[in-house]
Amino acid sequence: MRVVLAEDSVLFREGLVRLLESAGHDVVAAVADATALVATVAELGPDLVIADIRMPPDMDSDGARAAVEIRHQNPAVGVLLLSQHIELRHCLSLIGSPGFGYLLKDRVLNLDDFTDALVRVASGGTALDPEIVKALVQPRLRSGIGALTQREREILGLVAEGRSNASIARRLSLSDRTVEAHMRTIFHKLGLEDDGTTHRRVLAVVTYLESHRPPDAP
Amino acid sequence: MSSASARIWTASATLVLVVGLVGGVVTTRVELAAAAGLGLVCAGMAWVIQVRVPTSPVAPALAWCSASVVLVLIVDALSDGALGVGVSALTSLFATAIWPLNLAGLLALLLVFPDGRRRGPLDRAVPWLFLGASALLLGGLWGGDEPAGPGLAAAAVGIALVGVSMVLATVSMALRYRAGGELAREQIRWLMLAGAVVVALLVGGWAAEAAGVSITQAYAPFVVGILVLVPLAVGVAIVRHDLFDIDRIVSEGAASAATVVVAAGAYGVAVGVVGSLADRYTAIGPAVGGFVAALVLLPTYRVLRDATARVLDRDRFRAVRRVEQFTAAVRSGQAQPEQVEDVLRGAQDDEDLRLLLIDGSQWVGLDGRPAPECEGIDVSSGGDVVARLVLGRDSLRARRLAAALARAAWIPIEVSRLRLGLRRSQARIAQATAQERKRWERDLHDSAQQRILATGMRLRCLQPGLDADRSAEIDLAVTELQDTIAELRRLAQGVRPSRLDDGLDAALEDLRQTTPLPMDLQVCDLPEVDESRTLAAYLVVTEALANTLKHGQASRIAVRVGRDANRLVVEVCDDGVGGIATADALTSLQDRVLSVGGNLAVSSPAGMGTEIRAVL
Repeated sequence: MRVVLAEDSVLFREGLVRLLESAGHDVVAAVADATALVATVAELGPDLVIADIRMPPDMDSDGARAAVEIRHQNPAVGVLLLSQHIELRHCLSLIGSPGFGYLLKDRVLNLDDFTDALVRVASGGTALDPEIVKALVQPRLRSGIGALTQREREILGLVAEGRSNASIARRLSLSDRTVEAHMRTIFHKLGLEDDGTTHRRVLAVVTYLESHRPPDAP
Repeated sequence: MSSASARIWTASATLVLVVGLVGGVVTTRVELAAAAGLGLVCAGMAWVIQVRVPTSPVAPALAWCSASVVLVLIVDALSDGALGVGVSALTSLFATAIWPLNLAGLLALLLVFPDGRRRGPLDRAVPWLFLGASALLLGGLWGGDEPAGPGLAAAAVGIALVGVSMVLATVSMALRYRAGGELAREQIRWLMLAGAVVVALLVGGWAAEAAGVSITQAYAPFVVGILVLVPLAVGVAIVRHDLFDIDRIVSEGAASAATVVVAAGAYGVAVGVVGSLADRYTAIGPAVGGFVAALVLLPTYRVLRDATARVLDRDRFRAVRRVEQFTAAVRSGQAQPEQVEDVLRGAQDDEDLRLLLIDGSQWVGLDGRPAPECEGIDVSSGGDVVARLVLGRDSLRARRLAAALARAAWIPIEVSRLRLGLRRSQARIAQATAQERKRWERDLHDSAQQRILATGMRLRCLQPGLDADRSAEIDLAVTELQDTIAELRRLAQGVRPSRLDDGLDAALEDLRQTTPLPMDLQVCDLPEVDESRTLAAYLVVTEALANTLKHGQASRIAVRVGRDANRLVVEVCDDGVGGIATADALTSLQDRVLSVGGNLAVSSPAGMGTEIRAVL
C-alpha cells in the first residue's frame, strides 16, 4: 500500500515511517506541513494519506483542512487523520464518509489495530476513535437506532457508506422523494431536530456506525 | 490696523490727556484737569486692550474718545489766553469751529466696536464724510468773529454733514448689531445705550445754550457723558461679555487692588490704634500694623477674588463652582468619578466635549475604548500628561474655561484614569493567563506526548523477532507509556480543555460526559467572546461543579450558558444543601470572573440549593 505521511514532529514522523515500513507498507513521501501534503498527494496519487491534524503553516487544524481539500480533489484516496486530542472543527463533514478515519495518536502503539484501520480506510471503509465517537454521539441517539425499521436501517447503512440520497434511491429503486421522507423519519426517531448548527447526517451516520461496531475496536 | 500705528494713536491720545491734566492743574482750570483725569482712566482701559489685542483699533478709538474732548478743552483754554495773547489769537481763529472734534473719538468707536473690523463701503466713507464736514465747518467759521453769508452757509452745511456722519455711523453700528452673534449684540447694546445718552446730552446742550445757559454749563453734561458713560459702556461690554479675554485680568486686578486697599486700611488702623494706646509714636505700631496687614492679606484676597469673580466673571465662576462641588461629592463618596465627563460637559456647556485618558501610551475614552489622538487641553499629574479635554466648540474663551475646569476636576479625572487602568490591566492579565494556559496545553500535547509516542513506536519496531518473554515485556512498557500519555492528556485538560477549540458547548458537553453527577446542560446561542472569557466561563462551571461535589450533597446539577446582549451568561444551579458563605468558598470564582470584567451573583440559601450566575 502506497502511503503519504504528513507530520511536523520529526521524532513521530520517523517512528511512524519505520513502523509502517516494518508492517510492509510503502511510504512514498513524508512531509512536514499541510501545503506540501496537498501538493504531494496531487502528484503521487497514493492509496492512503496519514496526516496530523495540527500542522504548519498555521499550527491550527491545517491537517483537517488539507484532508477536506484532498477529498475534494481526489476522492479515491483514503484519509486517516491523527490527533493528540479530539478536535472536530474542520473535519465534521468527512466523518462517516467512506475512506475516512480519525484516530488519537496513541492508537499507533496498538500496532495490529492500527494497521487494520489503515487497510480499512484505504479500501473505502471507516475508522473512528472511540473517544471521538463518544464526543459526537449523545446517549439519547444510541437508543434511537432500535426504533428504526428494517428499510430505514438499510438506508442509513447506505448513507454511512457515503452515498447521496439520489444514489440510494437508484440502488433501492425508490424515488428521491421517498428517500428524503425516510431520512426525515430517521432524523426524527434519532431525535436529531434541525437546529441549524449540528450536522444531522453526520450524527446519524456516526450513531449507526457506533451501533454496528464490536466493542473496543478502534 | 498694524500694532505700531495703533500704539502710536493710543500713545498720542494719552499724551494729549497728560498735557491736559498738567495744563489744567498749572493754570488751575478745574474742568480741564477733571476731564483729563477722567480721560486718563479711560486711556488706562484703552492700554489694557492695547496690550491684550495689539492690532485692534478699539484701543486708540477709546483713548481718543476722551482725548478729543480734552483736546477741544485745551484749545478753548488756549484761546482763552492760557499761554498768552499770541497763542490765544491764533487758536481763536478756529476755536468756535473745532467742536465736532468732540465727537471724533466716539465716531471712531462706533465704527470699529466691538471686533475692530470695518466692513462695508459705508464704514469706509463715514470718516471721510466727517472729515469733510469738519473742514467745511472750519472753513466757514474761520476767523472766529461773526462769519459772513457764504461762510455761514458753508458752516451750516458742515454742521448738517457732521450730523449725517454721526447718523451713518449709528446706522453702521445697527447693521453690525443685526449681523452679529448674540455676544456681539450684547456688547454693542451697551455702547449704543451710552452713545444715545451722549447724543441726547449734546442736543440738550444745544437747547440749553439756545435758552441762554452759559456754554460751559450747557455742554458740561455732554462732556461728562462722553468722558464717563462711553468708557463705562465699553468697560461693561468688555468685562461682562468677555471681550478681548480681559474679564479675568480685570477681575483679578480688581481683587488685587481691593486687597491692597483693605490691607493698607488694616495697617493704618493697627498703627493708629497701637499709637493711641501707647500714646506716642513707637516702633511697635508699624510692626503690629505690618503683622495685621500680613494676617488679613491672604484671606481678604481669597474672599475678594471670589466676590469679584462672582460679579465680573459670573459664568466662569458658576462653571468652576459646579465642578468643584462634583469633586467634593466624589471625595465624600457621593458621586462616581467616571461621571466627570458629563459634569464637564454641563459646566462647559458643550455636549460634544470628550475626556480622553492615557493608558500606557494610548489614548482611551472613559469606557476604555481606544480613541484617536486629538488636540485639546492637557491635564497633568506630576509632570506627565494623564488626560486631555477635547472640546466640541473650540474658542479662546472655551479653552480658558476648560483649563480652569480641568484643574478643578483633577481628582475625579485622575481617579477615573487609575480605575480604568486597573480594569484594563486585570483584563490583560486574564488574557495573558488564558494564552499561557493554551500554550502549556499545546506544549504538553505537542512536545511531551510526541516524544513518548516516538519512544513507544521505537519499542514496537524492536518487537518483531523477539522471544515471547521479551515481547511481553515490551507490551508492558508500551502500555505504561500509553497510560502516561492518558495521564498527560488529563493534565493538559486541567490546564485548558482542548475541546475549547471546538467551542464552549463542545467542552461543556465533554465535561457533562465525565462528571460523576447527572448534569443538565443547556447551551443557547452564544456571543462571540475572546479566549480569556470563554476559558473563564468554562472554569466557572468546573469550579462550581467541584464546589457542589465537595459541599453541596446535590443529586443533580443544571448548567445553562447563553447570552445577554453581547455578554456571555453562565448559570449553574444544584439541588444540594445550599448555605455556602460567598466570601469563603467562592473567592477564586469571584476573582476569576472579576478578572475578565464580569460580575458574579451567588444565591445559596440554606437547604435550597446553590445558584451561581456569572455575566462575562
